[in-house]
Amino acid sequence: MNKKSRLSLLLVLVLACTAILSACGGTNKEQGAESGSSPDAGNQKAVELIWYNIGTPQKDTDLVMEEVSKYTAEKIGVTVKMKQIDFGDYTQKMQVLTQSGEPMDILFTASWGFDYVQNARKGAFMELNDLLDKHGQGIKETLDPAFLEGSKVDGKNYGIPANKELPAQDVWRFNKQWLDKYNLDIAGVRSLESLEPLMKVIKENEPSVVPFMIDRNYVPNLPYDYIIQNLPMAVKLDTEDFKVINILETPELKEALTTMRKFYQAGYIASEVATTTNNSDLTTTGNWFVDRPTTQPFADNLWSASLGYPVVSTPATDSMIYNWSVMGSLQAISANSKHPEEAMKFLNLLNTDVYLRNLVDSGIEGVHYEKVSENVAKNLDKSRDYDMPTFAIGNVMLNYLSEDDPSDKWEGFRKFNDEGVPAPLLGFNFDGSNVLTELAALNNAKDQFWAPLMTGSVDPDKYLPMAIEQFKAAGLDTIIAEAQKQLDEWRATQK
Amino acid sequence: MQAILQIFKDFHKNLPILLMVLPGALGFILFSYLPMGGTLLSFKQYRYNGEGFLSSFFSSEWVGLRNFTFLFGTNDAYIITRNTLLYNIAFIVLGTIAAVAMAILLSEIVNKRLSKLYQTGMFLPHFMSFVIVGFFVYSFLNMDKGLLNSILERFGMEGISWYTTPEYWPFILILTNLWKSIGYSSVVYLAAITGFDRSLYEAAMMDGASKWKQIRSITLPLLKPLVIIMTLLAVGRIFYADFGLFYNVPRNSGALYPVTNVIDTYVFRGLKTTGEMGMATAAGLYQSIVGFILVMASNYTVRKLDKDNALF
Amino acid sequence: MSIKTRKYRDIHSLSPLMNIVFNVVAALFALICLFPFAFVVILSFTDEKSLALHGYRLIPEKWSTYAYEYLFQNGSQLLQSYVVTITVTVVGTLISVLVIALYAYGISRSSFKYRSFFSFLALFTMLFNGGLVPTFIVVTQVLHLKDTIWALILPMAMNAFYIMIMRTFFKGLPDGIIESAKIDGATEFQIFRKIVLPLSLPGLATIGLFCTLGYWNDWFNALLYIDNPNLVPLQSMLMRIESSMAFILQNANTNGLGSVAASLPQETSRMAMVVLATGPIVLAYPFFQRFFVQGLTVGSLKE
Repeated sequence: MNKKSRLSLLLVLVLACTAILSACGGTNKEQGAESGSSPDAGNQKAVELIWYNIGTPQKDTDLVMEEVSKYTAEKIGVTVKMKQIDFGDYTQKMQVLTQSGEPMDILFTASWGFDYVQNARKGAFMELNDLLDKHGQGIKETLDPAFLEGSKVDGKNYGIPANKELPAQDVWRFNKQWLDKYNLDIAGVRSLESLEPLMKVIKENEPSVVPFMIDRNYVPNLPYDYIIQNLPMAVKLDTEDFKVINILETPELKEALTTMRKFYQAGYIASEVATTTNNSDLTTTGNWFVDRPTTQPFADNLWSASLGYPVVSTPATDSMIYNWSVMGSLQAISANSKHPEEAMKFLNLLNTDVYLRNLVDSGIEGVHYEKVSENVAKNLDKSRDYDMPTFAIGNVMLNYLSEDDPSDKWEGFRKFNDEGVPAPLLGFNFDGSNVLTELAALNNAKDQFWAPLMTGSVDPDKYLPMAIEQFKAAGLDTIIAEAQKQLDEWRATQK
Repeated sequence: MQAILQIFKDFHKNLPILLMVLPGALGFILFSYLPMGGTLLSFKQYRYNGEGFLSSFFSSEWVGLRNFTFLFGTNDAYIITRNTLLYNIAFIVLGTIAAVAMAILLSEIVNKRLSKLYQTGMFLPHFMSFVIVGFFVYSFLNMDKGLLNSILERFGMEGISWYTTPEYWPFILILTNLWKSIGYSSVVYLAAITGFDRSLYEAAMMDGASKWKQIRSITLPLLKPLVIIMTLLAVGRIFYADFGLFYNVPRNSGALYPVTNVIDTYVFRGLKTTGEMGMATAAGLYQSIVGFILVMASNYTVRKLDKDNALF
Repeated sequence: MSIKTRKYRDIHSLSPLMNIVFNVVAALFALICLFPFAFVVILSFTDEKSLALHGYRLIPEKWSTYAYEYLFQNGSQLLQSYVVTITVTVVGTLISVLVIALYAYGISRSSFKYRSFFSFLALFTMLFNGGLVPTFIVVTQVLHLKDTIWALILPMAMNAFYIMIMRTFFKGLPDGIIESAKIDGATEFQIFRKIVLPLSLPGLATIGLFCTLGYWNDWFNALLYIDNPNLVPLQSMLMRIESSMAFILQNANTNGLGSVAASLPQETSRMAMVVLATGPIVLAYPFFQRFFVQGLTVGSLKE
């Protein structure tokens, strides 16, 4: 008895200590934050903005950012520190960083990377409408209004979309050296099946080349518009009645999966694709034949320059404006930013200032690139140390052209944007807060079945029914009903 | 007054040793006890409010047990609990049997030099991290290049896509774990066996007891306390899985989750992918509490059976 | 007489047949333990082309040292990671052993009044913990260790189990020595440093080895806390190259990197990395294995 009470006393003591300590830790932290911002208040020193961006970390990032800081310190009184996180890790790492309150000011977000809508609703980003009015006039003037309009979440803007292509169109991209070597013609290529004869040639003659380069995130193109990317709920692209259906039960999917399975078994797809997160080994060595990226006007030039060897492409889908393409690349201001005004000033400059935009994009003139004429630039050898994802850093239409680009490149972009056809769900954002449990379960089912099925790693005849059953058990029908309800309500407001 | 004075006196007298314990105590408080306070997160729907973690923590909504209902509402809680427990039971039972058998075997080998050599070989896996073991396993199981499939094909069988076929993984994981741990634990048992009083064996020999008899009636009984301690230690960790074994070795393959997802990997993925801190913490707390109960229960049982062998 | 001895020996040792069986079983298992490593070594010396054509073979069609040549030219990341791992291991082991020894000594002294409190403080951490998420938050948000080398050291520094081992060890020291030193006027720290530590070298060595192995093989902390490529330890680097060699090429020399990148031996260079990262351990462990075995029998098991 006595011993017991002593033990519990100890326990209480320990808990008390813990509580006190954690409280101390808290105050310390607050103070730290205070002292961090106080020198800025005196306007003595430039404010440092921490900018999290997507992309493989580059060797010369710090070097270029120093140069950027010199310019921006003078112009708007800020310096910039960029932290890059690789494509495959970005969503996961940012999830943790924002939730745990890591200091940051500007961050990349998109429909496909650190989910823009979901995180805007979760409160990760600052609401930007007032800031835009105050410091973002330049952005409002240059940006196609469809971007700001289309990236509103519940009526508010939480990110600055990059001025680039508005619709999305997937293409088959071919490594030209193999096309030339075997004299292959890509004119007739469009559907998934139509790739087969070409891949067959490569498979038979080049054993160390992967004919069809995909990773675990690959999903065959289907004529559907998804409610949530990569969850099996969608409406048909040419829908009249806006009926949400389970995409796993459609004949189109079944057919596509059968083809993928055929490709997989023929060895056109790397055998361990279901666990492959990254194909950069293949792209560096050039040991691949075809893949399927999303394109933009004159993309072949861009790709060839960035890869270091020529590629050519041909359309795989129609060009359509989806929610996810409008929200394909945004820069948001973090909810915990201590300098939102400065961050907006910087974003405004990034989207309007030719010098700054090209510096961030291509690096330092004379080191990473050299100018050929007024607005044409050429990569130097050192550009390998500073290869940025152009689409992710603001207004692409300020970029210098490369030598192969036509002089009316940006005109081409505008035309491409005007011609895009709106997808049926453009402007509709599903709110999952009523079905969180089901969504969590659904995501688990997806983790288990999605990659093996979509990449052809498993037999669809056996696994597709299993997947359907699991998705249903996870509550797919409930979510579809909820989505249908929200969609009907949304359509009522659209009329 | 007298009491307070006494406290001061005690404090002063113990000061030097207190100072010695201080760094360690600080370490425990920072890295063990502070996080214990953090488990309160599992009762909140954590939403970041822009003012740092603590402020967000306080401003987040209390949701009671909702995070736990999430966990138990889906099938996950059952699967991860089942996997964690079954694998660990298999590791403990098979691992102990194999290690004791191997230790006896090594102790009986006549040529002690050879025996030492074997031990050295068996010890190697203990020094490898599961990242490296993951590479090893991959070189065997890779679909079109792996050693196993090329052997299968040589015998006219079709290669197996190991990383998308869950059926085989319980065996693969158990074998991998045994491979990594037997050498080490058999050396532990062997060390004990060499320490046993030789005269017991001499006496048995005088009585004409056979080798098997000696093992059964001398070696095994003498090993019993050690086996119990080792098992108890393992049972205490039965609700914790080796993250590397279940994450790296299966290459985080989604298709294998039904048989590779354990509490530790679930919490990690919860933190990294869904970003629902509350839910991930809830799963962690569930692990801690059940783990705690299991240690207490197993210790209590041992205490009942054999008081001397209990841990505390 | 001679018959008697022979009979004696027969019972004492195994029958020759059983001895052979035992030898074969033990040898076989030892080989199985060594085999994967040997296999990876073979793979790393395989020609990339023949590996792509014929898969992983025990006896490659064509041998090649190209993967190593390539890594020695372009693998400065490997060197960097070695530096990180060695730093973490050395500093971490020193800190751990010191702090653990001090703590264990404190709670081993029967004259220490708060002995049971501090014993409990340590023991309880073996029974209950806050879990991954709260620990992550404490390390990143309260202690601000993210992307620092301390994030790889401090979270692993304390270990209740090792403390218990050391406590048992200290308790085994003869009380008389400490008492007489006290009478001679030595302070507690002097006693600890001049008398206790030298007497406890075997125990300290054991704990030290445990810690060394723990730090050397740790990658989980790096996975959680490290983004900066200059702070990535070996094991974590091996994990990153599982999906892409791009990570180690980032720090490569840039002279004509285009051709260097294109000539990357995708598969064999990975295997060569594994060999280079584990080689030192494989070569060194037979020498310190002895201490391990000693340590195992010294500490925990006597109690």
